[in-house]
Amino acid sequence: MTILLFWLLFLGFVGAFAAQVARRVQIIAAGENNFSIDNLPFRVTRFVRDVLLQVRTIRERPGVGLMHAFVFWGFVAFGGYTLTEFLHGLGIVDLTHTAVFHAYKAALVPFASAVLLGILVLLVRRAFLRPIALGTHLSVESIVIALFIATLMITFLLTYVFGEGTGAAAVNWWVHMLVILAFMALIPASKHFHLVLSPITVFLKSPELGNLANLDFEKEEVGLEAVKDLKGKMRLDAFTCVECGRCQVNCPAWGAGKALNPKAIVLQTQEALLAGANDRKLGEIYSEEVLWQCTPCGAWETPCPVGIEPLPILIGSRRGLVSNGDAPEYLGAMYNHLERRSNIWGLGYDQRTKFVQATGLETFDPTKHDVLVWLGCAGSFDADFQKSLRSLFDILRARSVKFGVLSKEKCTGDPAKRTGNEYMFQELANANIEDLKAAGPKTIVTSCPHCVKTIGNDYRKFGYEVNIVHSSVFVEELTRDLRGATAVEGVTFHDPCYLGRYAGKVDEPRHLLTRFGADIKEPERNRDNPYCCGAGGGLLFADKEEEPGSRISDVRFKQLQATGANTVVTACPFCSIMLKGAQASAGPGGEATQFVDLMTFVNGKLQALDGARQS
Amino acid sequence: MSILVVAEQRDGKLNRASLETIAAAQQLGAEIVVAVCGVNVGGVAAELAAVQVKEVVTVEHAALEAYSPDGFTAALQDAIGQLSPAYVLLPHTYQTRDFAPKLAARMDRAILTDVTAVKMGGAEPAFVRPMFQGKLSAEVVPVGAAPHFVTFQIGAFRADQAATGAAAAPVRALAVTVEASAIRQKSEPPFQQAKQAVDLSQAERIVSVGRGIKEQTNIQIAENLAKAIGAEIAASRPICDAGWLPMERQVGSSGQTVAPKLYLALGISGAIQHLVGMKGANTIVAINKDPDAPIFEVADYGIVGDLFEIVPAIIEAVKS
Amino acid sequence: MKIAVCIKQVPTREWQPRLDDSKTWIREGDASFEMNEPDAYALEEALRLKEKHSGEVVVCSAGPARVAQVIREALARGADRAIHVEDDALASADAFTTSAALAAAMNDEKFDLVLTGLQSDDQGFAQVGVIMAEKLGVPHATIIMEVQADAGTLRVKKELEGGWFQWVSMPLPAVLTIQSGINQLRYATLKGIMAAKKKEIRKAAALSGLSPRQRIVALSTPEKGKKTQIIGGSPAEAAKELVRKLRDEARVL
Repeated sequence: MTILLFWLLFLGFVGAFAAQVARRVQIIAAGENNFSIDNLPFRVTRFVRDVLLQVRTIRERPGVGLMHAFVFWGFVAFGGYTLTEFLHGLGIVDLTHTAVFHAYKAALVPFASAVLLGILVLLVRRAFLRPIALGTHLSVESIVIALFIATLMITFLLTYVFGEGTGAAAVNWWVHMLVILAFMALIPASKHFHLVLSPITVFLKSPELGNLANLDFEKEEVGLEAVKDLKGKMRLDAFTCVECGRCQVNCPAWGAGKALNPKAIVLQTQEALLAGANDRKLGEIYSEEVLWQCTPCGAWETPCPVGIEPLPILIGSRRGLVSNGDAPEYLGAMYNHLERRSNIWGLGYDQRTKFVQATGLETFDPTKHDVLVWLGCAGSFDADFQKSLRSLFDILRARSVKFGVLSKEKCTGDPAKRTGNEYMFQELANANIEDLKAAGPKTIVTSCPHCVKTIGNDYRKFGYEVNIVHSSVFVEELTRDLRGATAVEGVTFHDPCYLGRYAGKVDEPRHLLTRFGADIKEPERNRDNPYCCGAGGGLLFADKEEEPGSRISDVRFKQLQATGANTVVTACPFCSIMLKGAQASAGPGGEATQFVDLMTFVNGKLQALDGARQS
Repeated sequence: MSILVVAEQRDGKLNRASLETIAAAQQLGAEIVVAVCGVNVGGVAAELAAVQVKEVVTVEHAALEAYSPDGFTAALQDAIGQLSPAYVLLPHTYQTRDFAPKLAARMDRAILTDVTAVKMGGAEPAFVRPMFQGKLSAEVVPVGAAPHFVTFQIGAFRADQAATGAAAAPVRALAVTVEASAIRQKSEPPFQQAKQAVDLSQAERIVSVGRGIKEQTNIQIAENLAKAIGAEIAASRPICDAGWLPMERQVGSSGQTVAPKLYLALGISGAIQHLVGMKGANTIVAINKDPDAPIFEVADYGIVGDLFEIVPAIIEAVKS
Repeated sequence: MKIAVCIKQVPTREWQPRLDDSKTWIREGDASFEMNEPDAYALEEALRLKEKHSGEVVVCSAGPARVAQVIREALARGADRAIHVEDDALASADAFTTSAALAAAMNDEKFDLVLTGLQSDDQGFAQVGVIMAEKLGVPHATIIMEVQADAGTLRVKKELEGGWFQWVSMPLPAVLTIQSGINQLRYATLKGIMAAKKKEIRKAAALSGLSPRQRIVALSTPEKGKKTQIIGGSPAEAAKELVRKLRDEARVL
């Protein structure tokens, strides 16, 4: 009788589970298939590391992450137990009295204890500590799930307390099984769906941060305009979200008080998909204003423990807006500059030509030169950053590296790509690739991390592969045999997002600095989790006046000042321009800070060294 | 051979560019007749008569009270028919640009515009004009029958270069027929922009302040200079951020883009976001303590020094 | 409203011109080209008028085959179709020839409004718009800051020198030359670029037997202008010298 009852309950709850899952799978499958499993070894390694070993979850928030890891490992360990009890309950086979099972159960006791500890800590955190990352409203559903898990562990441990066959044991068993069934039915419609999805999502996540597929103009692709345009991986991501808020608190725009909230973007996507609002414009769902507050710094992607890639959704939505002429005015001006002058400033090409001539640069010749130096449009047109480029040239010449530049360089198209103007990007990319192929360099050195990402990664989609390194990496290798001045100088280093986070190069700049006597005082956000200067995604040109909250650059400037160092070393023309702007706006409070580009710093030290050696 | 110079006036006030055109005409070495159109232009005619020209003719007609291209074309076509000059010279003002090509096209004659110099010595006079945004200089000659129309760039010749005559030239009225009903344009009275609205993009001269001004009270110094040279006040972003000047006065990539004839940058370092907003200025003057400031890269004239000493000195020099 | 916009393809602003062998024209081979910037503002104004009053924007250009580049840029921004008066000689033609070529090709279309930029970045005559008005037999106004069109009449704001402005009314059809910088130029959207590929570009033959009204005798490169002059001396001396230079050299005071 009980078996029949159990069967009915089982079918009922599992049916509910399956129906909800089916619905979501259908929604995910309705999106264009953009799943990929390229680079399999990387994916497998990442899977083992981030899913099985929970490395990312623990690293980002050690205490909380460990508690979650306990719950996860316990969940996995209990798989066999749950299966056995269900087979027993459904009357299929009873293995619950075997020796193996008893041994297994005993082994599960520490796991159950760990899970209980973990879930109680997390429950207290959620219910009483109320961290901002978990949102302002207390999630009743999460409390219920937490209590379910606690109940499951308690009822498991109680099996050692209640005698076999007793009424208490039976009740205990039924509570345990019913909670599992109820849990199962609740999973798909809650953030606990990640139990099912996140291993898949993590596995399917692109190996490359900020991987944005090219638009295919032959197929008349224009980007994401409405909900129905969201692709498969994006939909999968939307349902995987655990609402942990790590992306939110890591986001510099959110940190500066703007309306952009990465967690909200993902959850709004989920809501729209579930509502079936296929024709609703994405610009409406996220609110257009919010879409333009992002500096594609990637901060929301790296801490996500479940493999969500928000960038393709955001940039895809931008593409949809831009393709229809709905880009904000300052971007329209920038696009016209790129179209007419091939640089973001709209300055005449003679500025670059004058600079090239004044510094005696040669046109790159693969038979004569070791490396090609890519000047980039942000720096080569700016008299201020040109000083840094001169420093780089001095360093290369002093170390006998023969280098040349392209006679014609257009903007790599990074600002066009990150703001959603794919057409402009592809025009620039194709032109540059043609020139680069004709020049035929084996190694490209540049001081602009954005150029590193665009030429190194994005151009690969056009079939162009080249070894491009940031000047800090190249010069670090060049000067490895040197030891610097004895005088120690207190500095702080601002990791560029596109160098520290995107390219993962955080040690090379530091080696360079310490090699030449710098005592680095690290700011609160650094290395591969830097805090954006605020320039990316075209925001360098945005009219900030109308936006609520302070500017991202102001927040970062304060963080750098808080280190106590008076000298800020930068390694990107955008960071340099943006942070100096923040300094200017900071008034007398900011005057003490000196900015120096890494190349200028190194060159100064090198020249002092040479001078000391000669005297 | 005679030359007709068409002078420009508004509300009885002579546009001094007309004197520049007379100076150019005097280089051609032929007798000069100056015509001025409108109503009640006697005073202007008398002023023109002081210059060394053969005569001044007034072309007055009720239909010419307000300027219109239709009206002026008809009147001058008639006048030219009566005077038969070999050249018709005009200053390249907005008004000339509005009707002179029409007049030349009506008469199917050549018109050379924006000329900066006259080259004598060849079989016929040639005229020099800029091309490709001033990157090239072209020597051109008109083709076809006389009269040839030529307009002269404002400032290419100096009004005070026009030689004055020993005695006043004779002034006479020239009667012309103008069909008032054929004038298709109806114009309202000219006006200046309301004082509240700040449109830096139309300003001819701008004095701009940056962080080097140090304190809000010091902006007065810049405003004094602006008043002395008839300029608008503008600023780089930090000044507007601090609220020392309103947002509409911000020049730069997140503010206004300006292209005045003269841009005076006081204590501005020349960060690129500011530069892109003013690089179109004709003449850029930079005053900054820091000799390495990027602004000096784009300036035509620069003074490295303390603006608090230099700016008052400039005001002095301007007033003298 | 049926609006025509006349646009010109010119060498890019930063291109350093090299002279051909006869020294009466430039060596075009190594030049890159773009839409004349003042015409871009005229195009933007036309597109805005179309958005307000509905109708059609037809872009017209006279020049060699390469002119198709700027025609397509205009179509990508929203112009509906184009007329291309094709002839290599039109690349260096004077304003008379260009105006005659354009007016002849446009005559049958019976446009309500014709917009052009103030002047071209290459030859810089500032004549074509006005001459076209004469050839088309319609009224015109130049250096326009604002256009109000209403049931067959036009009311436009002219810019006068020295910060003065004036409103002028005239009946349609008419020709206007548009002041630069009066509006924010839109960028070519992806959809616009895709749609442009399907839009009509009607080829018109250039008029034969036109004689130019001016001839370039010689072209030369003037002495280098743009070098920063740092003025030294005491504040008083430097100030005096600066004012002198601004008065006499730069002629801005």
